[in-house]
Amino acid sequence: MRVSTPRKILFALLLPAAITALATTVLPMSIESLTGASSHVVEGVSMQTWSQWNPQHTMILTYTKFQVQRTLKGQAPPMLIVKQLGGRVGAVIQKVAGVRHLQPGEQAVLFLRPSDENDGTLVITGLMQGNFSVSIAQNGTLMVSNGMPDVSAYSISTGQITSYQGNRLRLSDLETRVQKAAQQ
Amino acid sequence: MRVGFFSLTVLVVAAVTLIIVVRPASPFLPEATGTGSNTFVADAWPSSAQPIHWVINPTRSAKIVGATSVTQVMQDSFASWTSAPNTLLSVITTPGTSSITNANQVPSGTNLICFICTGVNFSSADGTLALTSTFSQGSVITQADIYFNPNPSGVCFVTDAQTAKCPTLTDSPQDLQTVATHEMGHFFGLDHSGIVRAIMFPFAPNVLTTLSYDDVAGISSSYPNSIQVVPVGNISGTVSMANTGSPVFGAHVFANSTTSNNPFSAFPSIRKTPIGTLTVPNGSYTIKGVPPDSYVVIAEPLDQPVTSSSVDWGQPANPPTFNQPIQTNFTTRWH
Repeated sequence: MRVSTPRKILFALLLPAAITALATTVLPMSIESLTGASSHVVEGVSMQTWSQWNPQHTMILTYTKFQVQRTLKGQAPPMLIVKQLGGRVGAVIQKVAGVRHLQPGEQAVLFLRPSDENDGTLVITGLMQGNFSVSIAQNGTLMVSNGMPDVSAYSISTGQITSYQGNRLRLSDLETRVQKAAQQ
Repeated sequence: MRVGFFSLTVLVVAAVTLIIVVRPASPFLPEATGTGSNTFVADAWPSSAQPIHWVINPTRSAKIVGATSVTQVMQDSFASWTSAPNTLLSVITTPGTSSITNANQVPSGTNLICFICTGVNFSSADGTLALTSTFSQGSVITQADIYFNPNPSGVCFVTDAQTAKCPTLTDSPQDLQTVATHEMGHFFGLDHSGIVRAIMFPFAPNVLTTLSYDDVAGISSSYPNSIQVVPVGNISGTVSMANTGSPVFGAHVFANSTTSNNPFSAFPSIRKTPIGTLTVPNGSYTIKGVPPDSYVVIAEPLDQPVTSSSVDWGQPANPPTFNQPIQTNFTTRWH
């Protein structure tokens, strides 16, 4: 993690004790919390994507076929359909701040739960928080990030953050934490 | 890889002198539609759409407490933006009813704020408190709706930040106006900012409802008032790698005052902060909306706490703003 000194100072001085991620507004969740809130945690690759209006014509939804390569929690079929808010249909663009759409070919670890519509699709837990993209570090290590700071030491009851470590971690560490949390 | 960089051209803003520099970048970060390899148009409501109509379903979920009405909280939140200096922006409230549960049930041209609406797939356990959905054609915003999670886990929304407590002891209070004010920045077309104390910084404390200099620069650039109550200018330059001369895309560049001056002193609720932007793919930037003062200009990688994941500029969206990844392979420099 590279955090510049001026910014570290700014962040240390100015970020109050409680933190809310305003992406869309979310409370940062630990990997353990994400695991608990998800029916499936899977590793894989995004395949085809497409966007369409919902039946009420109030939201554009983007669907992604996600090829499962490894299941960390739950029992997943080889191919899942992941549904995300926002997208483009014709000339109309719907944006939801903070929602990062899956891209074909993208490797990811997804924390998923069934859609409220019971249409067989899955949605990402915590909007963007349950979407960890996989990248390769310069030393060859597989890394993951969901774009959120790692505030797993955040206490929701006291509003205290005792650790702020940035948002990248090794894929192997993520896998270990998910599997351990899934067993509890 | 860490490499030093760059050539930086700084035009310091002189008092009362408005420096007009035609550059593609913008202060703060607007949601934007790319119009070329280094140009974009900020997403914004057209002037013909103003005043922007909004309607609220005033029904509270069980997780909202406090004596102040949610409608009043929304009006106060909108007022933070519409009263910003140098800004020409207006909204109007349309009376709402508890029967409205989705955007189809409001009149055409009216935008919905809702606490109990359907279709958003909120979960009580996934930490999501609220989201804003904006519809646009090109860069013209045509509709925006704000949805609050009716049953957020671990928190309750409070409409009186200083007095209200959550009815459930295990819940922590979250000021509703803080969340609403941030979401309304998205409602008006603003993306996240890398400035820590800005309303549009993606991570916020429990209570933060007043705009910062950075927020004012953003909203007044998207909705400029021809009559500037506080004269402002621009700071522009280019960020490039020192060893190769190649431009840096997505460098977070911000102007930080070196004085205790308060050019917005006539607006006591406006908080003094740096004002920032990102470089476009050719490395150029323009920080607009900068009030008269002395500044140090800092360029840093957008690698923490705000990352490329937090801003649409770095996303391979459909359509993408610039369709290339933000660079973070350099070290912080300031001039």
